[in-house]
Amino acid sequence: MLALCDLGLVLGLLFLSTPAMGSCLDNYQELLGQLQKQADFMQHTSMLLDPYISIQGLDKDGLKEHCRERPGVFPSKDALQRLSRQEFLQILNTTLGHVLHRLRTLQKDIPKAQDLEKLNIAKLNIRGFKNNIHCMAQLLPGSLEKTEPTPTGPGASPSPTPISDAFQRRLEGCRFLHGYHRFMHSVGQVFREWGQSPSRSRRHSPRRGLRKGTHRTHLSSRNKRLMPRGWLPR
Amino acid sequence: MALFSAFQTTFLLALLSLKTYQSEVLSEPLSLAPESLEVSIDSARQCLHLKWSVHNLAYHQELKMVFQIEISRIKTSNVIWVENYSTTVKRNQVLRWSWESKLPLECAKHSVRMRGAVDDAQVPELRFWSNWTSWEEVDVQSSLGHDPLFVFPKDKLVEEGSNVTICYVSRSHQNNISCYLEGVRMHGEQLDPNVCVFHLKNVPFIRETGTNIYCKADQGDVIKGIVLFVSKVFEEPKDFSCETRDLKTLNCTWAPGSDAGLLTQLSQSYTLFESFSGKKTLCKYKSWCNWQVSPDSQEMYNFTLTAENYLRKRSVHLLFNLTHRVHPMAPFNVFVKNVSATNATMTWKVHSIGNYSTLLCQIELYGEGKVIQKQNVSVKVNGKHLMKKLEPSTEYAAQVRCANANHFWKWSEWTRRNFTTAEAAPSEAPDVWRNVKSVQGHCVVTLFWKPLSKLQANGKILFYNVVLENLDRPSTLKLLSIPAPANGTELTLDRCSYQIHVTANNSVGTSPASVIAVSGDPGNKEVEEERVKGTEDGFCLSWKPQPGDVTGYVVEWCERPGDPLCDLQWKNLGPNTTSTVVSSDAFRPGVRYNFRIYGISTERIPYLLEKKTGYSQELVPSDNPQVLMSNLTSYSFTLSWKDYAAESQPGFVQGYSLYLKSKAARCLPGSEKAVLSDDSICCKYKIDNPKQKTFVVENLQPASFYEFFLTPYTSVGEGPQGAFTKVTTPDEYSHILIRIILPMIFSILLIMILCYLKSQWMKEKCYPDIPDPYKSSVLSLIKSKENPRLTIMNVKDCIPDAIEVINKQEGTRKSLTETEPTKPTYLYLLPTEKSHSGPGPCICFENFTYNQAASDSVSCGHVPVTPKAQPSQLGLLTSSENVPKALGKNYVNSLGEIPAGETNLNYVSQLASPMCGDKSSLPTNPPEPALCSEYKTQMAIPMGLASPPSITLLDEGEHDH
Repeated sequence: MLALCDLGLVLGLLFLSTPAMGSCLDNYQELLGQLQKQADFMQHTSMLLDPYISIQGLDKDGLKEHCRERPGVFPSKDALQRLSRQEFLQILNTTLGHVLHRLRTLQKDIPKAQDLEKLNIAKLNIRGFKNNIHCMAQLLPGSLEKTEPTPTGPGASPSPTPISDAFQRRLEGCRFLHGYHRFMHSVGQVFREWGQSPSRSRRHSPRRGLRKGTHRTHLSSRNKRLMPRGWLPR
Repeated sequence: MALFSAFQTTFLLALLSLKTYQSEVLSEPLSLAPESLEVSIDSARQCLHLKWSVHNLAYHQELKMVFQIEISRIKTSNVIWVENYSTTVKRNQVLRWSWESKLPLECAKHSVRMRGAVDDAQVPELRFWSNWTSWEEVDVQSSLGHDPLFVFPKDKLVEEGSNVTICYVSRSHQNNISCYLEGVRMHGEQLDPNVCVFHLKNVPFIRETGTNIYCKADQGDVIKGIVLFVSKVFEEPKDFSCETRDLKTLNCTWAPGSDAGLLTQLSQSYTLFESFSGKKTLCKYKSWCNWQVSPDSQEMYNFTLTAENYLRKRSVHLLFNLTHRVHPMAPFNVFVKNVSATNATMTWKVHSIGNYSTLLCQIELYGEGKVIQKQNVSVKVNGKHLMKKLEPSTEYAAQVRCANANHFWKWSEWTRRNFTTAEAAPSEAPDVWRNVKSVQGHCVVTLFWKPLSKLQANGKILFYNVVLENLDRPSTLKLLSIPAPANGTELTLDRCSYQIHVTANNSVGTSPASVIAVSGDPGNKEVEEERVKGTEDGFCLSWKPQPGDVTGYVVEWCERPGDPLCDLQWKNLGPNTTSTVVSSDAFRPGVRYNFRIYGISTERIPYLLEKKTGYSQELVPSDNPQVLMSNLTSYSFTLSWKDYAAESQPGFVQGYSLYLKSKAARCLPGSEKAVLSDDSICCKYKIDNPKQKTFVVENLQPASFYEFFLTPYTSVGEGPQGAFTKVTTPDEYSHILIRIILPMIFSILLIMILCYLKSQWMKEKCYPDIPDPYKSSVLSLIKSKENPRLTIMNVKDCIPDAIEVINKQEGTRKSLTETEPTKPTYLYLLPTEKSHSGPGPCICFENFTYNQAASDSVSCGHVPVTPKAQPSQLGLLTSSENVPKALGKNYVNSLGEIPAGETNLNYVSQLASPMCGDKSSLPTNPPEPALCSEYKTQMAIPMGLASPPSITLLDEGEHDH
């Protein structure tokens, strides 16, 4: 029953805005509200982390303490807040792309169809979220080319460094999911700040997107610094 | 000679060669030691793979050799494994041998050495060990890297119940390392200062994703672990079996064991090997495999099914003769032919299973879902079977299957066909009964018949033929055809005797006739009704056997007795039967069923023998009688309930119970104490005769209070509890009083009637009618004078100059209503001035008000109200005593003040008839008629409106209505 409710909520959130159907909401506030809600929803550990810990038997004292995000894998909240809106959206889009890829590799370690269904819902959610990011980027002045809508099929993505050790692999997967939920929490807070500063402060000012020339160079170097460890920016 | 010389030369050369060889072996010891020993590791399988060769063998020489291998751990002196490995060795052949370590190879350094010896009977003298090879060291730890902690073995796959050895390798001496299995700490043995070993015994299956084993250092955030994949035990295939359907292909099936239970399923392979032919096939599916039968008429097959996964290999065997494992194909071309009313033929074909094979076929015939016939038939190719004793017009299903007749293995699948037999003429006569009534000199016969059962009808009944044969005129026949599904008809016959033949007909023919006769003489003699007691099984009826020829008996009853369509039922019984049990699901408790038993004469005429009545289950009475009480005396009263219908009760009323309550402590004779449902105590009279409808309650006490209640009872119990009727016996002397009072009342009534009859006379005497002014002689007097000015005045024309009004005080008026109403008051309007501007002298009759209540009061006279001193007010006299006074003063005076010739007549309105006794109160001087007179309208004022404290004199206009 809970799973059904979750599914309904996810689908509701996804289809309230319709970028997946080829068109975007042109209402900034409405789209921002959608992104906030979706980020808030995706931060819940019950979506991915909790089932993963249970499935992999990591819910033991002395073990679950090690299921914590590794620093540097996901951008910190401070780092996200320092970004301009365009930069933020681009980082978000890229990071979620990597998350999608990583989820596909984690899928192999999930035995039950019921849990797989949860994972698939999470992937669907991320795809919809990426589409909304694309729509938001188009609403901002100086839209970014890199925040393209998510293709419906599995996209090519750099594979993480293979870890042959199953134990280490599942521990890393757990840490990754922990980081993912934390990251989405930070994303939600940043979006909330967007909503609280309608004047569009300098830090998140969309106008900075207009200064393409100087900004592009600066953005490029910053993005490299913020890229998750082991991943290459597209 | 030459030949001998050549042979001798050859022999010598061979001997020389042998000598040379022997001299070489014996002269210097042969060095058959293993050489080029190489050791490699397989960490996943924890195996050491050894590879070596023996170089010192002669060319093409083959020798059996044994190699002794020693494996030491940590240090060479710690030999943990010694094994002799025997094999045949060729020159420079690479020999291989593997050893699986219980301890992960990463946990400790291992060293290997070996030596060899010839173990060949050809050269027994060479049986001695060579020198050991040098120790070959295997040290995996050195290549592990620089991580502070390692746990081994990585991702090991074992079966549940296995024993597993685990170790950790720590790079730091300072840290204490603790290891856990699924969160539970393990305790191991220290192999060396950096290595600790844990022996896990009988590991269980925990989850599909494996068992987590991990080690942590006390300090720092170091955690390392392994996942031990524990699979469930790989089971051997079950129910391995092979069979053929066409002698060309064998189909082997089995039930694979349960899954390994791991997320990454261990790949399983199934291989089928036949030992006689030496053929082997890898099965595509995990539960079955096909095997092509060899064309060389191989009869015996010996199969080995091998199931294998990463951890285990399991095999099952099966030996059989091919002809004993024939599972024939289902019969084909199955038809049901020549279907008649009772027979049908089934034909079919079978697939051949060899030139000499005979098939045994089984035929089953189903009727109404049950197997009714079963037959086995031997068949080569074509099968045929005749099914007999079938029922007409019945649906059947026939099916056939076959098996190898010589060596039964399995039946083929069924092949089924449905068919319906043809109809036949009905086999039984319909069961007919009648009801005879006499209506207006005719005999109305209602015929009933029961529909034939399916077995009797032999098809669909289309109509019933009724033939009426007049027995008095045998040549007269009448035929009626009644379409089905009618189950009866009504016939109006004359008084003649008839014999009625009823037949049922379907499309094929006619049933035998059922004959019943109707006599011109009903012959229904009065038969006394007997009671029968019903049970759950029904009514058990019995009757006296009849003398003479009786062809049978019929018991008749109605299943719904209260219904006009009583649902007549009957039961035919043989001539020797004198009892039967009538049962029906329609029988209900509390319903009285009436049974009539008829004898059937040889002429088929029924005559009534006995009548029975009874209940399948008696109930208590549903209602109580309405009891009437009469003849109440001081000592008794009589109760009667003659209208009570005891027959309509849900049980036979056996009597009545009368309950009597009184204040007396003891019950009267004939009654006994009884306790009611409300725990009250009363006396109970029991009336045992159900026909008794009256009862006299005697021996009562005068002037006493009694309560009684009457209820019927059946064999089950009494009727519902009802209300008690109250009765009080009269006093003993009351009848004497009645003898006095009644005549008195009668006398008074008589006097009153006489008074009423003489009322006209009294009226004339006491209060004669008031004369009508219009009919007054005054009018005639006026007319006679022919004075046009003299006429009756209108109100408008009569303007009083002055009115003397008697004011009525409020208190006075109140006293009127509160004091004796028998003293009416009268109002008088009196002119006070002699001169007025009217048209002339006239007479005015005026009454300003009229109190209806006062008029309604018992007043028999009118009292004139005399004007008082205050002229503007009206006054009421409160007492008749005031009347003479008033008359003596104002009234008389006023009259005296009226001048002659202008006399106005003051008329007193008559409100009611005066009482006889008040006659004296009438004015002594009645007014005389005047020339002009007027009578003004009287105005009635209801009591409620007649309450103003004073009545103001109305002006002229207000008088006019």
